[in-house]
Amino acid sequence: MKIIFFGISILSLDMLRKLRLKSKMKYRILLLSAAALLMACDPATSDNSDTSSSDDALPFPSTYQPMPSVTTFISNAQIIDGVSNEVTTGHVLITDGRITAIGPDIKTPDGATVVDATGRFVTPGIIDIHSHLGNYASPGIHAHSDGNEVTSPITSEVDAEHGVWPQDPGFDEALQGGVTTLHILPGSANLFGGRGVTLRNVPSTTVQGMKFPEAPDTLKMACGENPKRVYGNRGGPGSRMGNVAGYRKNWIKAQDYKKKRDAGGDSFKRDLQLETLADVLDGKILVQMHCYRADEMAQILDIANEFEYKVTTFHHAVEAYKIGDLLAENNVCAAMWADWGAFKMESYDYIRENVPFVHAAGACAMIHSDDDLNIQRLNQEVAKTWADGNRAGLDISKAEAWKWLSTNPAKALGILEETGTLETDKRADIVIWSDDPFSTYARPDTVMIDGAVTFDRASGLKPKSDFRLGYESLMEGVE
Amino acid sequence: MRHALMKKLLLSSLIAFAPSVGFAQTLFVDNAKQMGTNRTVDVIIEDGAITRQAATLRAPNGAERIEGAWVTQGLFSTMSSLGLTDIGSSGAGNDVASEHSHTNVSERVADSFNPRSIHIANTRRRGITHAVVAPRSGEGSIFAGTGSIVSLTGEFDSILIPEAFIMIDLGETGTQRAGGSRAASMAEFRAGINDVKGFFRRYQHDSHGGDTLSRQDAQAFTKAVNGDIPMMIRVSRASDMMRLIEIKEDNPDLDMIFVGAEEAWEIADVLAAANMRVIIDPLHNLPSAFESAGARLDNVMFLESAGVDYAFANLSSLGVAKPAILNQHAGNAVGEGLSAERALQAVTSTPAKWFNIESDTSVVWDGDPLEVTSAPIAMSIDGDAQSLESRQTLLRDRYNPISEDERPHKYR
Repeated sequence: MKIIFFGISILSLDMLRKLRLKSKMKYRILLLSAAALLMACDPATSDNSDTSSSDDALPFPSTYQPMPSVTTFISNAQIIDGVSNEVTTGHVLITDGRITAIGPDIKTPDGATVVDATGRFVTPGIIDIHSHLGNYASPGIHAHSDGNEVTSPITSEVDAEHGVWPQDPGFDEALQGGVTTLHILPGSANLFGGRGVTLRNVPSTTVQGMKFPEAPDTLKMACGENPKRVYGNRGGPGSRMGNVAGYRKNWIKAQDYKKKRDAGGDSFKRDLQLETLADVLDGKILVQMHCYRADEMAQILDIANEFEYKVTTFHHAVEAYKIGDLLAENNVCAAMWADWGAFKMESYDYIRENVPFVHAAGACAMIHSDDDLNIQRLNQEVAKTWADGNRAGLDISKAEAWKWLSTNPAKALGILEETGTLETDKRADIVIWSDDPFSTYARPDTVMIDGAVTFDRASGLKPKSDFRLGYESLMEGVE
Repeated sequence: MRHALMKKLLLSSLIAFAPSVGFAQTLFVDNAKQMGTNRTVDVIIEDGAITRQAATLRAPNGAERIEGAWVTQGLFSTMSSLGLTDIGSSGAGNDVASEHSHTNVSERVADSFNPRSIHIANTRRRGITHAVVAPRSGEGSIFAGTGSIVSLTGEFDSILIPEAFIMIDLGETGTQRAGGSRAASMAEFRAGINDVKGFFRRYQHDSHGGDTLSRQDAQAFTKAVNGDIPMMIRVSRASDMMRLIEIKEDNPDLDMIFVGAEEAWEIADVLAAANMRVIIDPLHNLPSAFESAGARLDNVMFLESAGVDYAFANLSSLGVAKPAILNQHAGNAVGEGLSAERALQAVTSTPAKWFNIESDTSVVWDGDPLEVTSAPIAMSIDGDAQSLESRQTLLRDRYNPISEDERPHKYR
């Protein structure tokens, strides 16, 4: 039944398997031929509106194209939509890669492929706001260490996308955990680490082919122990005092640069490092700030006030629960783990209720992975922290807690208009789960990105990095 | 004020979850499930202590009735650095590894272990009653030292077996320790064995008369070479494990436990035939290194069908916080097709059997113990009630958003 679902019914399972075992090119041919077949019987074609002209002006423009999709009707699902605080029973209609109807009373259009999701859960695709997939790719050898420009505490001129290896096998495994969009950011050695990039979790030979069209750029900054540890014997900063002085000195430079840029004229010379900071001051770049301690986050908010920019999200934020109200007042999000801590002093005060406590204080809370294994089961990370929050006396529903997995990260990345919830006109980034995603035993059965099936457990459809080739005779041959 | 919070906690948690215990009350746990059996038990919990447990009990007067609970043995973490460090960063206070010492095998974690570490209570409250405490190798040697088995009571007598096993790094960490290649690390391993076998001849006149170990380290290695205690060997690649099996054929007394063993599935039948035991992390599925290029989630299913004796551990880079989420690691193996009973054994009775630990432990959970949403409501080790309070719960209660305590946090 699932085979029919993604429109390759005339290809036998055996053929599918053989094709999967051969080259990626063959895999593409399979998809393309499947698409051609689909187009023959369904006028729906993929949505090409993603190549908008506004991206063309920027360097390294997105060349992302949705994979082919068909009009799909997911029926009788338990729906967590990322908006409502209740799980509802209903259907989801996908047309041209977008959600075109959702609810209990919609009818199956003629020609639509029907997926019976009775007894299964349907959710938005998971969005991980903190990943280093591609820039610390597997295998984790030194040659793959491309996520941290550890040469100066100020490297706002670098961009994570230039260190992303699209063949990192971790992308494929994250997809099988339901991750459809992810934000790759530089590491935290530097005060100003560089730009981050938001990616669609799709097979592509280039990073540009993964870039989320028109997603805002981000700037990774870091507080605390890392910069002072890394640069303490290399010219500083060597203390938290030096960290703060380093931020302020460079924001002053950025203000000056921005003034000159705004004035224009022949004497203006571009400076990549200051350009990123000036773009922050212009509100074009979202600041993603690595910060653990409550007192440091409060100081960063004062710096943001001094220089009139906005911190979008504190990342890791192990002590966010101590200042939930302050985060709420300042409309700043916090991206957190469920139960990581004690790996250094600034993470010593970790508690298992951080995410729900920040949520209960009225701030924008979310889960994040920062890890190539954790990203594969972020639903379980939310389930853990949700359960502990309620055990501590909160009353948060599962549907409400789901917002920590897709809605709030989409908001913090500036892409909530496009994805993060199951709402009409949004991209059909969807996970069909075998069971309640708050259960350890649940697994994604099917993952769709822009309505295209990118992973399907029953049929065995899954992407496989070039790196995995040559191992598969072993990988597939047993059982 | 604290009391008011606890009351509120109790009231609200009754709705969604079973209550936390730890204050004066009697609970009657009705028909608690036991994983892997169709039997249920009734449990009476008084002031946090599991006082009675039997197929059918009469509810004490005034006891609060708990339904939907489960009972298991305490979980056994087969890899941890509990009690060896307070934070993960290096520096004084971190006793996980010694980078510049002149000793190796003879370094006993039992000498470093601090039962009062906050991580003991943080871990215990997640249902863990026992742990392997293992050293990591330092610069210059594949031999990390001598590991212990501890119970997580937090008491000064909680080291159950001070010299329980010898920890050895082979695989890529070991090759770096040995100077850069597998040939070097395997040569060092064989040399260590031979230093023990030729102990009297080699060290009679010279404490450094061995090929690789000093006299003191060779002496400490003797129990493992004689097979009296196991060697726990970090190894990932199938061919490395094959090599070690050959070494065992030459030295039949050796008792090896492979830790990591990402490619064990490729040689599951060989491992079974050689009676090798393995500790795997059921979440490891990435080619994190070339030596684990074959890592896959269903590694355990091959071990299970071949009849290999295996246990689970969290082998991630999470440091001292790792063992606390052992139930999640076991639960994910069930997600890959393993039976819940076998998954539970891999984190309870299997490692207890390996190390001959005969403690009587019991954990009452507020739901299926392998679900990440479940947590213990009472625990006992050899009849003694175990606190479910820890530094984490104290921080939680201090900053709980439902707290009505208006005082500055330092007075709460």
